[in-house]
Amino acid sequence: MAAKFEYAQAEEIRDVFARHGVRYLFLGKSGAILLGFPDTTQDADLYVEKSPANGAALVVALDELGFVLDDVRRAEIRRGKDFVQLKDGPFDLDLVFAPDGIERFGDAWDRRVQIEGFPVCHPSDIIASKAAANRTKDRESLPRLRAFVDWWLEKHRR
Amino acid sequence: MRSVSAEEFRHWREEFDAAAKRPLRTRFRYAFIHTYKPVLDDAGYRSFDTMEDYRAWCERELPSWLGYGR
Repeated sequence: MAAKFEYAQAEEIRDVFARHGVRYLFLGKSGAILLGFPDTTQDADLYVEKSPANGAALVVALDELGFVLDDVRRAEIRRGKDFVQLKDGPFDLDLVFAPDGIERFGDAWDRRVQIEGFPVCHPSDIIASKAAANRTKDRESLPRLRAFVDWWLEKHRR
Repeated sequence: MRSVSAEEFRHWREEFDAAAKRPLRTRFRYAFIHTYKPVLDDAGYRSFDTMEDYRAWCERELPSWLGYGR
């Protein structure tokens, strides 16, 4: 288990991933927190586009961030297994290539929100993903998260 | 899903308004915490071919109180 995730590390993800052209979005509670949701979480969830080129770029970016990846891990990340959990790097990171409740990366990308340069899933996608996952912890957090999304949409209505 | 009282709802919206006044860097400091989660934190790497496999693993292996089960 790595140390707690810091803003500087989020900046590193943003900058290193941008440099290598990795297509990804912050998802889950970490995405909601970037949007302004006042709550707590432990790790960052990244929705990563599943493609050979993006997988290869992701591995290079993770190397640069300090994640130690052996050949098996590299191959699995390049291939885009649906869910990869990294807990022995500089910070904990969940890579999600096929999140529940979101059909296509391209659609989520088109709906994304940019917060200080961080690409974040649209709040409605974050809700859809949590509702589809339907774990106990999701059911507990959804009423407050839905209230936040309603609040956020009011504030960002054009 | 539990119902939300009007008072609780109003309180949440006050929290959202207050959070919006803080810089992202500050919000980050209080949002990301570090606590040990048994089983989940006991391996440095895991991967699953499908989300269904991951969900099934969570149901099977994790203590129910962590909330990862359905």
